[in-house]
Amino acid sequence: MTNKEKYNEAFCNAFEINQDQLNGLKYQGIKLWDSVGHMTLVANLEDAFDIMMETDDIIDFSSYEKGMEILSTKYDVQF
Amino acid sequence: MCNSDSSLTGKYALITGCNRGIGKSILQHFAEKGVNIIACIRKKNEEFDVFCQKQMELNQISIHIFYADLLEEESVRQFVSDLYKSKLPVHILINNAGVVSKGLLPMTSMQQLKDVFQINFFSQVQITQGVSKIMMRQKCGVIINMASIGGMDAFPAYMSYGCSKAAIIYFTKTMSQELASYHIRVNAVAPSMTDTSMKEEMGELANMEIQRRCAIKGLIPVNDVAKIVLFLASDDSSFINGQIIRVDGGM
Ligand SMILES: NC(=O)c1ccc[n+]([C@@H]2O[C@H](COP(=O)([O-])OP(=O)(O)OC[C@H]3O[C@@H](n4cnc5c(N)ncnc54)[C@H](OP(=O)(O)O)[C@@H]3O)[C@@H](O)[C@H]2O)c1
Repeated sequence: MTNKEKYNEAFCNAFEINQDQLNGLKYQGIKLWDSVGHMTLVANLEDAFDIMMETDDIIDFSSYEKGMEILSTKYDVQF
Repeated sequence: MCNSDSSLTGKYALITGCNRGIGKSILQHFAEKGVNIIACIRKKNEEFDVFCQKQMELNQISIHIFYADLLEEESVRQFVSDLYKSKLPVHILINNAGVVSKGLLPMTSMQQLKDVFQINFFSQVQITQGVSKIMMRQKCGVIINMASIGGMDAFPAYMSYGCSKAAIIYFTKTMSQELASYHIRVNAVAPSMTDTSMKEEMGELANMEIQRRCAIKGLIPVNDVAKIVLFLASDDSSFINGQIIRVDGGM
């Protein structure tokens, strides 16, 4: 599985959505991406990439695109 | 996964400040129940290494030792990161390490206030932030914070210590609400004067005042505090959540 596929899967599992809903997706943009859903997403991503995200990055993680930027610049996950 | 029976055997308990005092007694009580230990202490200590080795052999458990100075945010961050990398499960977290601090208001510097909060509150929050994420994934856990009667009752010259313990009490209550849906219980123990070296640091005057207010006189043995922690960590207390259990002889 590529990193992009793992990343997408973490979102789809956390928010029960399809891949075609991911582009442009924002925090609190859908019902399930609330603060509790955000924790589920972070747990999925940490498991998928074997990382521990810093609190500041969890707070900054405001969209599907921003998440990729954070993971690639700070956690060495290449997409 | 967590055991669903009341047995603690085989679980993993992370205890901070367990090289002496109340924390060491908690370690021993858990070890005797077959609980594996993740010890987080300030620095390497050979006497503690020997003690741990003995506990491992006696009780057929594992003890993993990590180091962190709770005065330093970076040191705590490194510890949490190392803990993640170790992939150890954490079923029980005991935020026990702490310092006492005294001084009347005009003699309490902002630095002193910040330091006591850094150790007694901010670092506990930082550790809980990391460990609760492990527990959230496990979908179970127990967190026990070491508060103090000083966080509820007022004593002159204990503003900084008391405020830091009051903060941990509020933290306990809030976390008990926030984490309950992940099957994580959060409680605190609030001892009065307990028989550790901290009583010397508190001084004769504080000791006398506490004894005056206590119905049952005398120092609380560390074992009494450890046994309450053991009970709160076990499934026997599965509906106790968000509580601050005073061990104070009736004040
Ligand atoms: N004893 C009492 O009367 C009493 C009453 C109410 C509540 N409490 C609370 O119970 C807890 C345990 O106290 P105790 O009586 O067992 O005290 P203690 O014998 O003085 O032990 C304190 C523990 O905390 C650790 N610690 C302190 N500062 C630290 C730092 N910067 N980084 C890492 N570890 C640090 C100490 O490590 P080092 O050995 O490296 O210093 C030690 O392991 C504390 O939270 C205390 O506030 C105690």
